[in-house]
Amino acid sequence: MFVLISLFIDSGQGNKSSGNTVKGPTVGGPFTLVDTENRIVTEQNFHGKWVLLYFGYTSSPDVGPEQVQIMAKAVKLLESKYNSEILPVFVTIDPQRDNPSQLRAYLNEFDSRIIGLTGPVSAIRQMAQEYRIYFKKVEEEGDDYLVDSSHNMYLMNPRMEVARCFGVEYNAEELSEAILKAMRSTPT
Amino acid sequence: MALEAYASRNPDAVHVDVLSKARQACYKARDAFYACLDKESNKRPTEIASVGLLYPSECKNSRAEFDKHCRASWVKHFDRQYCRNRRVQRLLDDKDSRRVIKQ
Repeated sequence: MFVLISLFIDSGQGNKSSGNTVKGPTVGGPFTLVDTENRIVTEQNFHGKWVLLYFGYTSSPDVGPEQVQIMAKAVKLLESKYNSEILPVFVTIDPQRDNPSQLRAYLNEFDSRIIGLTGPVSAIRQMAQEYRIYFKKVEEEGDDYLVDSSHNMYLMNPRMEVARCFGVEYNAEELSEAILKAMRSTPT
Repeated sequence: MALEAYASRNPDAVHVDVLSKARQACYKARDAFYACLDKESNKRPTEIASVGLLYPSECKNSRAEFDKHCRASWVKHFDRQYCRNRRVQRLLDDKDSRRVIKQ
């Protein structure tokens, strides 16, 4: 009986101590996609690097290109102003239209360093779920449609854990400064 | 890896109408049309655009350019955005004018 009680107390204390470092819901997870050169890319490829991850689609009328522009500019600012390197990654939520060639043509206009990822619909759907990305086809008329989505940008640390999440309200300067702050406050 | 469902119809096709040059041309045509709407706002809106937006016949040409340079889904999206902004603007204007009367 005594043993049993002490076990309960122990487990109770254990819960309490872990309660102090409670973590939020897990965002992120493994994925297998292809890049613009048709090479297979998984989360393993990004380990050891700071990654700026954006989920979008090339047929976006306005917010998409604005966000990629902000992303490209923030990456340049981080490099030129703060000498910090970060890998920009664009994952399409519209794999039916965004094939590797389409992604390459689109992203090269912003910055050729942006890694574009696409893949089978099922793989994209799985990754979007892991990263809590909402997306839905709207205004559909055959091949012409828009994709309503959450325009979140994730900053992933070198262990591929979410360090920060940014909404559309950040401009390139603010984004680069917030990224720098997060990078500097993370022990390497 | 089986690349089953992505871009199944045209694996290498590039839709140039969403690339920078075409996008800028679309934005330009869009802005010209909405500028025409604002300019001709005192005219009777007799033509139907999309999502319930009406416009005067004076803007027919710029509307045709807008339709020509932008995807149909984009046109709808911008029309919807324009209607929403105009509605908000009207509400704000209304509020302002009431405040003026009160003073």
